[in-house]
Amino acid sequence: VRRIPTPSQTVGPFFSIGLAPLYQKVARPDSSRTITVRGTVFDGDRKPIPDAVLEFWSSEDFARVPTSEDGTFSVTLSAERGESGKGPAKHFEVLIFMRGLLKPVYTRMYLTPAEALKTDSVLGAVPRERVATLFASKTSAPDQYSWNIVMQGENETAFFRFSSDDSSDQHPRSA
Amino acid sequence: VNYSPEEHPGVAQTEPPYLYPPYVSTQKRAPSRPLILLARAVATAAGPVFGHDSIRPSDADLTRQDSGEPLGERIIVSGRVLDEAGRPVPRALIEIWQANAAGRYRHENDNHPAPLDPNFTGCGRVLTDGEGRYSFVTVKPGAYPWKNHENAWRPAHIHFSLFGAGILSRLVTQMYFPGDPLLAYDPIFNSIPDEIARQRLVSTFDWPTTKPEQALGYRFDIVLRGSKSTPMETSHP
Repeated sequence: VRRIPTPSQTVGPFFSIGLAPLYQKVARPDSSRTITVRGTVFDGDRKPIPDAVLEFWSSEDFARVPTSEDGTFSVTLSAERGESGKGPAKHFEVLIFMRGLLKPVYTRMYLTPAEALKTDSVLGAVPRERVATLFASKTSAPDQYSWNIVMQGENETAFFRFSSDDSSDQHPRSA
Repeated sequence: VNYSPEEHPGVAQTEPPYLYPPYVSTQKRAPSRPLILLARAVATAAGPVFGHDSIRPSDADLTRQDSGEPLGERIIVSGRVLDEAGRPVPRALIEIWQANAAGRYRHENDNHPAPLDPNFTGCGRVLTDGEGRYSFVTVKPGAYPWKNHENAWRPAHIHFSLFGAGILSRLVTQMYFPGDPLLAYDPIFNSIPDEIARQRLVSTFDWPTTKPEQALGYRFDIVLRGSKSTPMETSHP
């Protein structure tokens, strides 16, 4: 018998009390090559969101960072991974929690656009005009990337759901 | 107060929607475009593995983290973490945070004029054992006001964050207390359309774990999505 998963609730505004122990320490213990991604999380009015927390997941990495008062975040990630264990990082899975989100949003951050576009089945499911929201862009500094997240409206980040999810968000908003 | 069933009649919904207008902050933060459907198999990140070295014994007893004891009603919260098939989830990290007995969070943005308790931080961490069991000691949190609507009060609750077998098992939720009259008025609790699912967030008073002259016991069992993948089972027999 399948049990009903415990429902999600918002992290609320005071999550740092409980979640800060796992916030990423800037100095990483290993000496592998790293990249840094900086960005801002925006709401539907294009205002920065100061009380969000992001988790970057891959098969070899986990990093949790909060947004600051100005809605910005900065995360340092391992660049040493790939499908075969070599080559640059291809993508990270990302969960975003915040006050006002009753359950996290799931999205992806891609670092190698040209290569990924050809082979990645997930990107193939994304409407063409929204694909760009999933790519971090290289900045002029080496190993520094920029990636913004828009929760709602114009240039809204592509968010995903999974096949066994219930249907509560299939029609998120009536026109 | 059930908002969503009117929009989607006849559909059992065990998760809250993103957009739930009675919870005002959802209105500018909920995604407005259709979510893109993926097969579960593409969400592959197994996530971090936590060892006992990452947890101190005092992390599971929120009444012994400072020089003195916090004020309030001591409680023992315990339960089991299971997957959807009913199997225990061992070595799952649980992070909790809560207000103190007066309903005040130790956070710079909490302006509620209730006293801080110098002996209460409100942060706890515990790993489930081999049978998926966990337990921690704390004080019962107070209700606190918020500005969502006129005369808005959150029911007493403890925030729970859990890591299971992978990214799709990740859960952040809130545990409530039985008989709380504020539950009926709380849009966050009532955002879950399905009545049975919603009641899963209400702990039960637990006589067997109540300690004489020490603390009341509350039981809160948790079911995570997904299940342990085969590689995890073989690498951690």
